[in-house]
Amino acid sequence: MRTEAIDPPGIEWRRVSPKYVTVRLVEWALGNLLTVGVLSVPLILVQLGWWRWPPLWLAISVPAAMLVLALWRLVLIPRQVRAIGYAERDDDLLIRRGIFFQRTMVVPYGRMQYVDVSVGPVERGLGLCTLKLHTASAGTNAQLPGLPAAEGARLREQLSARGEARLAGL
Amino acid sequence: MTLQDAAPGTPSSDGDWLRVHPASPFVRGWVALAAVGYFFGRETFERMLQGRDLIDPNLNGRAPLLLFGGIALLLLTVAGFILSWYFTRYQVAGGYVRVNTGFLFRQQRQARLDRVQAIDIVQPLLARIFGLAELKFEVADASESAVRLAYLRLDDAKQLRATILARASGAVTGPDIAPAPEAPEYPVLSVPPQRLVGSLILSEQSVFILLGAVASVVLSTLTENRAFFLYLIPAALGLAATYWSSFNKGYNFTAAISPDGIRLRYGLLDTQAQTLPPNRIQALRVVQPPLWRMFGWYRMQVNVAGYGLVGNGAEAGSRTTLLPVGSKSDVMRMLSLVLPDPGTDQPERVFTAGLDGLDSDGGFVTTPRRARFLAPLGWRRNGFAATGTALLLRSGRWWHQLVVVPHQRTQSMALEQGPLARLFRVADLVLHTTAGPVSPRLIQADEQEALQLFDAQAARAREARKRQTSEQWLAQVAPTPVVEPVETEPVETPDLDKLDHQTYPKQEDRHHG
Repeated sequence: MRTEAIDPPGIEWRRVSPKYVTVRLVEWALGNLLTVGVLSVPLILVQLGWWRWPPLWLAISVPAAMLVLALWRLVLIPRQVRAIGYAERDDDLLIRRGIFFQRTMVVPYGRMQYVDVSVGPVERGLGLCTLKLHTASAGTNAQLPGLPAAEGARLREQLSARGEARLAGL
Repeated sequence: MTLQDAAPGTPSSDGDWLRVHPASPFVRGWVALAAVGYFFGRETFERMLQGRDLIDPNLNGRAPLLLFGGIALLLLTVAGFILSWYFTRYQVAGGYVRVNTGFLFRQQRQARLDRVQAIDIVQPLLARIFGLAELKFEVADASESAVRLAYLRLDDAKQLRATILARASGAVTGPDIAPAPEAPEYPVLSVPPQRLVGSLILSEQSVFILLGAVASVVLSTLTENRAFFLYLIPAALGLAATYWSSFNKGYNFTAAISPDGIRLRYGLLDTQAQTLPPNRIQALRVVQPPLWRMFGWYRMQVNVAGYGLVGNGAEAGSRTTLLPVGSKSDVMRMLSLVLPDPGTDQPERVFTAGLDGLDSDGGFVTTPRRARFLAPLGWRRNGFAATGTALLLRSGRWWHQLVVVPHQRTQSMALEQGPLARLFRVADLVLHTTAGPVSPRLIQADEQEALQLFDAQAARAREARKRQTSEQWLAQVAPTPVVEPVETEPVETPDLDKLDHQTYPKQEDRHHG
């Protein structure tokens, strides 16, 4: 993957598992198909002649717009997953994400208060996990989704050990 | 007492379990008592006004029942108060403060003294009448709310505050519970009431009120609808309440410095005395609304771990205010307390540029000219400057804002760039800090500059953290080559004296000399 403008130079990004695309697809399906389905109800009712109010064009265009948006998001998912990256440096962890709205974040090991590893049902099926770092700041929304379980465990141990060594107060 | 053994590994010799003042549940629960009184009294009062019998004739048969119920309710409330008082106990021992509360659902809170972030003495009006005070302290160990001790006698509260601060600073260690002397303090500044009133009149809120008033007059003349004004009465009451609360909270604001930290005192009816130990301020901002520029007034707010989590907006607002309204010299004085070492040779120039400057004066790096369409007004002001000890972020052409984040307080950072910003090759740098009114963000800096700052800032924060080794601030300020410096030194005040002679006059010189 090419280096973006806001990525620090000379960083070897490690990528999350490509299998994470599946997790995102399931989430996408649950969220978007349901919305489109619900928005299509008036269309069906109008077609059946039970409802009069929404004119046909409105009944069609609303779910159609939603569908287009949903498909757009669907197309983006693989690229978004590829855009997630992390790099362990000597004193801090770098995390990047995003294609349009990019974010590169640095979390010093000494600032980590605790490290969470969580596994959802779909993730468990694929052998993935999500790593979450907590600092004293609520703004630190440092999540690394889609890590292989072994890598997640390794990273957790590694981060905890490094955090312990460099622990600072607030 | 068996509770004494609750915490393993601590010597139980020091620190007995103490109870809060017996009157405290009544002071705290007066609202409940008042409510009971209100419900029983209102009917009677209304009847009296209407000139009817004092007691509803329909109730005649049931009067004893009602009376009995009322008394039972009262007794139950009082019993509850007594029980809650009996089961509330606290202890200062072994580097911890422990507070036990509750008799059905017992709760033990324990707080590490060296993690105390700030300590407040609060006196609501009723407590003030009885000479009582609440001691409240924020602790940075993942507990969600402050530890409260309500109520103690004012002198006891002050004494306990001194003890906690002395232990937290590392000035006093060892098992003996000898009460620490109160640290001496020197007044730094105070806000005169007329300035407070002026600042309230010239606040943004007043502008909106004026606009609203004009709009409603215009509307009512256009529609010739006088009843319209009736709807404004509740709004007016609400506004009066806000003004009153700001006035009540900001009245008689004074700041003082002591070796324990910065002391802030304020309040008209409810008084509050806050102590912010050194190095506990995570981020700070100085703002100036456009109307305040006429008088050169500024407001200062801080992020302190724990303060931002208080749910109540007004309370959190007043506690995070370092200076409700002050002149530039006041701001400089407060800055010198918060940041004893500004990390630059010309603090006056740099901070002045941060407060009011434009473009590159004071060493600020601003948004590049090519991105001026993204911020047509602000681009000459949005910028940053890094001194040896803190990062200064400046923004706002109308609402001047300067954010100061000490390097060792940086938690984590993120560079953010949206599609439009990418087009103009600029990026935002966000510094993450504890919850509070200040959210440091460098707006639209040049991509390369931002990236460099991102790296440099990470390095600076790392260096600053390495220098700061202990949570006990006295050990940081006056390090001695002895392995355990605090243990070997006499448990008296030479250290404190040394500290305040070292820091206090020096800061004064820096900005006034």
